[in-house]
Amino acid sequence: MTAFQRWAFGLTVPACLIVTALYLVPLGTVLAISVEEPVPGLGNYAGLLDSPAVARVLATTLQVTLLTCALTLVASYVVAFALVHMSGRLRQAALLMVLVPFWISVLVRAFAWMTILRRQGVINSTLAALGLITDPLELANNRIGVVIGMVHYMMPFAILLLYANLAGIDRRIMQAARSLGARPGTVLLRLWLPLSLPGIAVAAIFVFVFSLGFLITPALLGGGRTVMIAEYISVQITNTLRWGVATSLATLLLVVVGAAIFLAMRSPALRAAFEGQVRQ
Amino acid sequence: MRSRPVLVLGKAGAWLLLAFLFVPVLVVVPVALTDQDYLSLPQHGISFSHFAALLVPGNGWLASIGTSLAIAAVASLVATAAGAAYAMGVWTMKGWWPSLTRLVLLAPMIVPPIVYAVGIFRLWARLDLLDTPTGVVLVHVVLCLPFTVLAVGASLSNLDPAIVRAARSLGARPPTVFRRIVLPNIRLGVAAAALFAFVTSWDEITVTLFITSRHVVTLPRRIWTSITDSVDPALAAIASVLLLATVLALALRLVRRGQPA
Repeated sequence: MTAFQRWAFGLTVPACLIVTALYLVPLGTVLAISVEEPVPGLGNYAGLLDSPAVARVLATTLQVTLLTCALTLVASYVVAFALVHMSGRLRQAALLMVLVPFWISVLVRAFAWMTILRRQGVINSTLAALGLITDPLELANNRIGVVIGMVHYMMPFAILLLYANLAGIDRRIMQAARSLGARPGTVLLRLWLPLSLPGIAVAAIFVFVFSLGFLITPALLGGGRTVMIAEYISVQITNTLRWGVATSLATLLLVVVGAAIFLAMRSPALRAAFEGQVRQ
Repeated sequence: MRSRPVLVLGKAGAWLLLAFLFVPVLVVVPVALTDQDYLSLPQHGISFSHFAALLVPGNGWLASIGTSLAIAAVASLVATAAGAAYAMGVWTMKGWWPSLTRLVLLAPMIVPPIVYAVGIFRLWARLDLLDTPTGVVLVHVVLCLPFTVLAVGASLSNLDPAIVRAARSLGARPPTVFRRIVLPNIRLGVAAAALFAFVTSWDEITVTLFITSRHVVTLPRRIWTSITDSVDPALAAIASVLLLATVLALALRLVRRGQPA
């Protein structure tokens, strides 16, 4: 090692030490507790398979996550596609409408949806004032509220990822197709969609992974009735102190997220994105 | 040009979806201006009393803002220093060390915070760091690091590595190369990293929720407690203040640069 290489290596040491001591060690603790408490062995994992409550939570988590993913991707693609076709001031206004929710605290956004969706909320009181309903609609404290809140949270991320991808596609390809007589629908389905598949895949993995372990929005808008895995883990730690259940579920979540990322890293486009070299 | 129904329909849909993103957030403003004592739209007129309530020391909002500002300042300072040093180091390196450590450093951005929260709760309980400013700052440093590494890394990817060879061939010693040659060239990236880290810490809630209780009450922690315990319109007032600050910052940025953040 030359003196220069030693210096370069030395510069990387503090960050690596911080992450090892304050991140890898606690994650290791989670894995260790899951096979040590309350009794050593795989009892916690066997218990997960037997528990109807855990089965219900996992089913809810999977359903809400997949629904969130699907809705977020379709909606975000429409917005990102429109964004690349907008010009100047209009695009700036549209971007501001994406960036404001992007930068606003997740708590403020969940709170805003609570005031809109709850029984005496904006939607219900407006509909009642118009005489359209007599009984308030159940929009919050259930799966509808959770999915609305989660799609709202995930969309700005997905839009920005898809927009970066779509903006980098060579538009001359579309001009060529149009001049050869392709109809707009054909251009969309046979050119835009296939060319943007890497971007769609990045956004899909991203939304999937974040939705799966999301705590705040489901906990606030689910009202304790639509319980997803993160909230269940949190309750096991803070209320019932069942460390074995909490840590084995956390490990399960870690494994699923790890597998999703591993699969994503096998694709070159996704690897580039995760390594931070998002082009364009 | 012939109007294309697909495109027209798509554009209308896109603006509706943009409205879905933007308009609901605005609802906190009229709620904050309500003349009632509970969460509602103004009934007989608007009132600024809920904004005034934020300034009453006994309500704790100002104290929480101070706590969050202090924690975010220290955490972002440490995370930016460590992250920028790391990014500069790996920029000149090859082999397995950069790719392995990069994966580990970016993990906190991807692994669900709830998993980390469970682990760090246990560690902090053993080290007596639960509900202490030090405990929160250290956790926030870890959570901010990925963003600083990415921001500084992005800045470095635009820098010509020949600059290092030139400096060294002219006799600059290694510390001089990093401090006097590389660092000044990426100062915008470092500033962006610090900003990212600051906002990440300022907004962080999931892990903080686990490792704090009564003594360290960050602003997100107080908002969370206020949402789950009561329906106080002061909550809408603080939400409006945060919204206004965000809109102003973004609008300034868009106008000045003509570029998205």
